[in-house]
Amino acid sequence: MTDLNYILETILLLAIPFVPVAIGVLLRRKFRPGAEPMTRARKVGRWAGNILLWGGIAGLLFMIVVVLNYKGKI
Amino acid sequence: MKALRNPIAVLALASVCSYAFALEPVPWNSPDRAAQFKYFRENASYNANFWAALAPVEQDRELTRAKEPAAERQAAMEKWYAGAMEKWDTARLRGYTASIKEKDLRAVAIWLGREQASALEKKLLLARFMLDKSQTKGLDDKDALKLAPHLTTEAINDLRGISAAAEALDRQKAGLAVKKPGGAASEATLEKISGAIPKTGKQDMSKFFDGSNSRGGVAVDFTAGAQGAASGRPSAAAAKPAAVKQTAAAQIPLPAGSPEAACDNPKSSAFTSNAYGYTITANGQTQTFRDGKKAEAAIRQLPDGSISKIILYGHGSPGMQTVGPEVYDAESTAQLLKGKMAKGGVLQFSGCNTASIGGPTLNPAVGLSMVARRLLYFSLPYFQNRADGVSAEQARQQWDKGWNADLARDTSLGIKGAVVCGYRTFGLVPGRLPGVTRLMGNQEATTPGYVAGRKACYQDGREVAAP
Repeated sequence: MTDLNYILETILLLAIPFVPVAIGVLLRRKFRPGAEPMTRARKVGRWAGNILLWGGIAGLLFMIVVVLNYKGKI
Repeated sequence: MKALRNPIAVLALASVCSYAFALEPVPWNSPDRAAQFKYFRENASYNANFWAALAPVEQDRELTRAKEPAAERQAAMEKWYAGAMEKWDTARLRGYTASIKEKDLRAVAIWLGREQASALEKKLLLARFMLDKSQTKGLDDKDALKLAPHLTTEAINDLRGISAAAEALDRQKAGLAVKKPGGAASEATLEKISGAIPKTGKQDMSKFFDGSNSRGGVAVDFTAGAQGAASGRPSAAAAKPAAVKQTAAAQIPLPAGSPEAACDNPKSSAFTSNAYGYTITANGQTQTFRDGKKAEAAIRQLPDGSISKIILYGHGSPGMQTVGPEVYDAESTAQLLKGKMAKGGVLQFSGCNTASIGGPTLNPAVGLSMVARRLLYFSLPYFQNRADGVSAEQARQQWDKGWNADLARDTSLGIKGAVVCGYRTFGLVPGRLPGVTRLMGNQEATTPGYVAGRKACYQDGREVAAP
């Protein structure tokens, strides 16, 4: 049971950096320009998608840097 | 003779060139030069890619240069490992459990193999677990049987005696009749140990052995202390904490001739950073050191209360900080700087995760750092231990209390009045990035410059604003 708890915890922790990327991609698709007229709300939605997507990618790069640091490569 | 001059010159030139061209590249980790490659790996001088990029002549030069120190290091490691795998008596149990760190196990894995490192790690885990257990629940016959291959009979008896003594103390506190712990033999061994009995296992047993009172407990002679407490008198045996003493044999030998061991090596031209060092500001003057021994000697020579700022720059992990080959935990740092810090003087640990993660945050970078810390310092070692056959409970106990250790706070408790700062997160130093460090020529910098990370500072164990 202890192992199962920690396996679940590890999966959740590993998934965290990917969450903003996934949400960002969804928002960008939902508020894609051209399909419907770009209202203010749609623009905000697309901006939020952009921020989450690129912030998420930056987060993933950050995690890679942290792991390299941990491994003594940096 | 004059006619021969040209052919001789051509022949000489050809022989030199043929030597250079005849050299073939040596593959990374070539078994023929195993010791040298272990030496490179330990010192992180090269990796497979950088090695492959070297010309064969350069590879040959590097291998020749590393041959002697690598052979010496191999012999030293074999000797040390043989000692570490012998049965430990009480003193060696204390020394090895306190001094062997994660990096030492990595060194054993590099020089002697993963199996040897795993065997030593299992022995250490078992010893530390039993030390904790002896303090809380006490050891039974099964535990003694498990310890028999690793500890001497005297050491096992000592551990069992301690648990009996701790039990007697608990009973005494509960107002029950005191029963003399163990027999004459166990009492005799206990009298040799002076240290605070930690309450309900919250402190490491190793601290008990070291006589530390860093969390406010008072070091006492157990038997006399118990008698004093029973009569309502203050313990006559209350004493200042004993200096941390670790048996020299317990500490892993330093890599002789390595860049870490010799500070006067020529400047590195490496692609990656090897920056670490001490920056000490005392009496208005700032000195920097790469060599730990020289830095420590300089600190000892300073008058009391003179250090206004000191930066220990290197790699950190929860509960410890390295500065090159030197490793510091809260106790050893407090011991080194005892009395030397000026009132309000600042000790800065410039290493990752040298403070606890702290409270909740809305900063995504700090959040990711917390996630990474949990994964790297709990999840990963936990599953490694499980793969090595360590029980779930033992692995959980080993890593659960360590991953969020707060080196800065613990050190501040040992250096009264000083402000001790560490990083709650991974501290990223732009100047350390591979390539950037080469461009800037700061591979061997002794001060970190800008560090991207969340700082936390403590004074006497209380969090204070960063100075």
